[in-house]
Amino acid sequence: MRYHLSQDFTCTAPAVWGLVYKFTCICYRSLDRIFDIVYWPVISLLLWGFTSRFVSTTSSSSGIMEFFVGGAVLWSLFWRAQADVCTFILEDFWSRNIYNLFASPVTPLELFCAIGLIGLVRCLLSFVFLGLLAWFLYAFNILLLGGTAIAVFTTVLLLFGWVVGIVISALIFRFGLRIQVLAWSVGFIIQPFSCVFYPLASMPRWVQVIAVTLPTTHVFEGLRHAIATGELAVRPLVIALGLTCGLLIAALLFFQYALLQAKKRGLLTRFEMA
Amino acid sequence: MPLLEIRDLRKRYGAVEALKGLSLDVERGEFFGLLGPNGAGKSTTINILLGLILPDSGSIRVFDQDFAIQQVAIRRRMNVAAAFTSLTGVLTVRENLKVYGRIYGVRNLERKIDELLERFEITELAQRKLQYLSSGQHTRVTLCKGLINDPALLLLDECTLGLDPDIAEKTRRTLQEFQREQQTTILFTSHNMHEVEELCGRIAFLSKGEILRIDTAARIKSLIPHHVLEVRFGPGIDLSPFRHLDGTPQAELGGDSTLRFVLDDPERQLDSLLRRLTRAGGHIADIQITRPTLEDVFIKVARGEI
Ligand SMILES: Nc1ncnc2c1ncn2[C@@H]1O[C@H](COP(=O)(O)OP(=O)(O)OP(=O)(O)O)[C@@H](O)[C@H]1O
Ligand SMILES: [Mg+2]
Repeated sequence: MRYHLSQDFTCTAPAVWGLVYKFTCICYRSLDRIFDIVYWPVISLLLWGFTSRFVSTTSSSSGIMEFFVGGAVLWSLFWRAQADVCTFILEDFWSRNIYNLFASPVTPLELFCAIGLIGLVRCLLSFVFLGLLAWFLYAFNILLLGGTAIAVFTTVLLLFGWVVGIVISALIFRFGLRIQVLAWSVGFIIQPFSCVFYPLASMPRWVQVIAVTLPTTHVFEGLRHAIATGELAVRPLVIALGLTCGLLIAALLFFQYALLQAKKRGLLTRFEMA
Repeated sequence: MPLLEIRDLRKRYGAVEALKGLSLDVERGEFFGLLGPNGAGKSTTINILLGLILPDSGSIRVFDQDFAIQQVAIRRRMNVAAAFTSLTGVLTVRENLKVYGRIYGVRNLERKIDELLERFEITELAQRKLQYLSSGQHTRVTLCKGLINDPALLLLDECTLGLDPDIAEKTRRTLQEFQREQQTTILFTSHNMHEVEELCGRIAFLSKGEILRIDTAARIKSLIPHHVLEVRFGPGIDLSPFRHLDGTPQAELGGDSTLRFVLDDPERQLDSLLRRLTRAGGHIADIQITRPTLEDVFIKVARGEI
């Protein structure tokens, strides 16, 4: 039977609203979901904050603390956004709700819009909390980067986090729960190539080739540039933003493809999907 | 115009042919049963109708719309309650129903939820988290979800699994009431033959991905024509003369002064048999007629004997 993809790209308010309500309830009904807004980000902030404090006592270069702490705060945004997409999708697999969800009129686009909205709130909460903590612990004021820089950095990181989250979710639909560990670990794979704590130029050639294709690299390069010069390098960030938007569309199409494959193989009714 | 029109539906999983060209019409307001052995293709059919499984070929029209093109719109007017599926465990019963109520765009949602909880007698569970419910309670919540949008087409896949006899009876009654009030069309699968017989107007008998027969329960039962008549005679009587009376079917000896006759054509045979037995001097103390049940037919079909 032919399947008309276009219908999956409709988006209606009641469905998004229903799902946002669900995700909100999940957040306040399970403590771990509130806890994980800050848990890993705080650990990472402590680790990199104290590392940079030590390094700056042994080095003469300035701005080390800002590089590291700024990197840790911004990276947590990407990580949070990506993990949220995956966990909100996985939640439905774990509770065997995926059957009822996909039997309802909800479209994948509505699902991701709802996850995006709730994810945005969670990321902002995490960002504010980390910003305050960085200020309190290391006297690092992230607002000094300026409103435009923060807005552009966070937008690219959030969108790219969703891109990666959607791709991992698609893979879960394709290969089943046995690859669910990627939901938490993929950030650790992408991080070394994103030049979060070191400049692109210091990397070996082959890493640079990979790194420039990642929008995250341009954000952290931009962060260091902004800290060092006090100016925003607009061009690479616009390219990163354009690239991320393109990747987001590609990720949605890839998810759609994976979903169709899952429907062909009858996997949506097999919850464990081994 | 049937409300649901399935034509030549095929689905293959590798070497397994789950559906081999299934065609089916279900009229508006029908309570329609899908019956068949494990693996016959009942759930596959239902899941295809929900858009959860994509068939290899075939066409489906629901509400006079093409399912391949209008699936999302069609799903808005459908719903499902299926065994082995769940809602979100960490949410309360009411929250879960609210989620689906909103997704389906239900008006007066709180009132609708109260009414459904009351109908299924689980009002006191409203604030309990789903993950702590017993399986029967869980089943009733799933049914509430299935009815939340007053669906025009309701798919029920073994939805009464795990209910105790009292609740199962009430649930059947509720479903019947609902179907009558709302003119809901219901597609129903169950391995409880008694339930299928009580609820379903017509039944499609599936085996190995094919429909063997679509008919009413009564007519499906007539696939096994013979009734069994058990006659108990007064104590101390020698039964051997009655076993081979002229013009009567042969009888087997049962325990406790009883003879068992198998009647191929009960309407014609019953009266004359009883007359002959009494005329031959048999004092009849008790009789019992066992008619074939849906379960008998089911077993014969499953074993390939019909
Ligand atoms: N995702 C799948 N992958 C492979 N085979 C499948 C899949 N889903 C169903 N099947 C096979 O398709 C056939 C029909 O299965 P289906 O679940 O429709 O049976 P059913 O009539 O609902 O049986 P039951 O009474 O046990 O629920 C079975 O042989 C089953 O093994
Ligand atoms: Mg089944």
